[in-house]
Amino acid sequence: MEHASGFVLPNSGHNRDAEASKMGMWLFLFTEILLFGGLFIVYMVYRMINSEAFLLSSFELNVTMGTINTVVLLVSSMTIAMSITAIQKGNTRLSVNLLFLTLAAALIFMIIKYFEWSAKIHHGLFPGMEYYENLPKGEGLFFYLYFFMTGLHALHIIIGAIIIAVVIYRTKKGLITPERYTLTENAGLYWHLVDLIWIYLFPLFYLIH
Amino acid sequence: MENNTKKHEGDLHETQHISSYKQHFSTLVALLLLTVVTVAISVFGANLRTLSVATALLIATVKVIVVAYYFMHLKYDHKLYTWLIMIVGLLFVVFTALTSIEYFNR
Repeated sequence: MEHASGFVLPNSGHNRDAEASKMGMWLFLFTEILLFGGLFIVYMVYRMINSEAFLLSSFELNVTMGTINTVVLLVSSMTIAMSITAIQKGNTRLSVNLLFLTLAAALIFMIIKYFEWSAKIHHGLFPGMEYYENLPKGEGLFFYLYFFMTGLHALHIIIGAIIIAVVIYRTKKGLITPERYTLTENAGLYWHLVDLIWIYLFPLFYLIH
Repeated sequence: MENNTKKHEGDLHETQHISSYKQHFSTLVALLLLTVVTVAISVFGANLRTLSVATALLIATVKVIVVAYYFMHLKYDHKLYTWLIMIVGLLFVVFTALTSIEYFNR
């Protein structure tokens, strides 16, 4: 804690504030909610204008894969919540293992997403492809929104996985301890948000028909 | 209480509530059941179109509240967080409502 120069700030080492960090995380989550919220409004308007085309297109999506991914994300939400319980109870090792499980879930989600997207791209449904360009306007819009919104969500999964990896590293290095685990909590909040967005994306794209 | 004295000002963890593993597991079971219900309605009740849109969104909202309340720990946090989230939710509902009103009055 001592500086090389001998200069020490009056409150060195005492200036962390777990509650303020959590509030900061929540404020960030609010901006994320409004980002996806705007997209949901776009979806709503285009759906009202092209309800038949959206209905028809939604049958193209694979409900089984969507359901499996929903379950995977819900389970991962539980494992990261349990990981916080573990570190609070002083069980660092269990906390790390549960974080690894969460990371594995993120990987499974992305693998399933990869197969889903590949199948759609194989059918030429990605915006810009020849088949896509010849689709009726409404169906094109559906797939445009599908790729954009699930793509943005998948990007959040990747970022969440990176954050979880950082938490694992810092826990193993002893930088996150049962007395000081704000980063684990904030990573958990972010991961739950990613889950929350999927909870709305899943019925809107896969189920409503 | 004696054992409530904190080491540092910002060290709020010591007084924090710890959720049990069992509670987290029960929350997951509830969420999975809701998922089964929403998929079942969609797959077997395709002819109830408008009803299925409303119920799917309703069930999704219930799931979101369960995740926020238990997994995101809102139940045990300061009530300020709940109020802020409700304000953000209200903001979204107002935007959605205004957009819909505009659309239906064309």
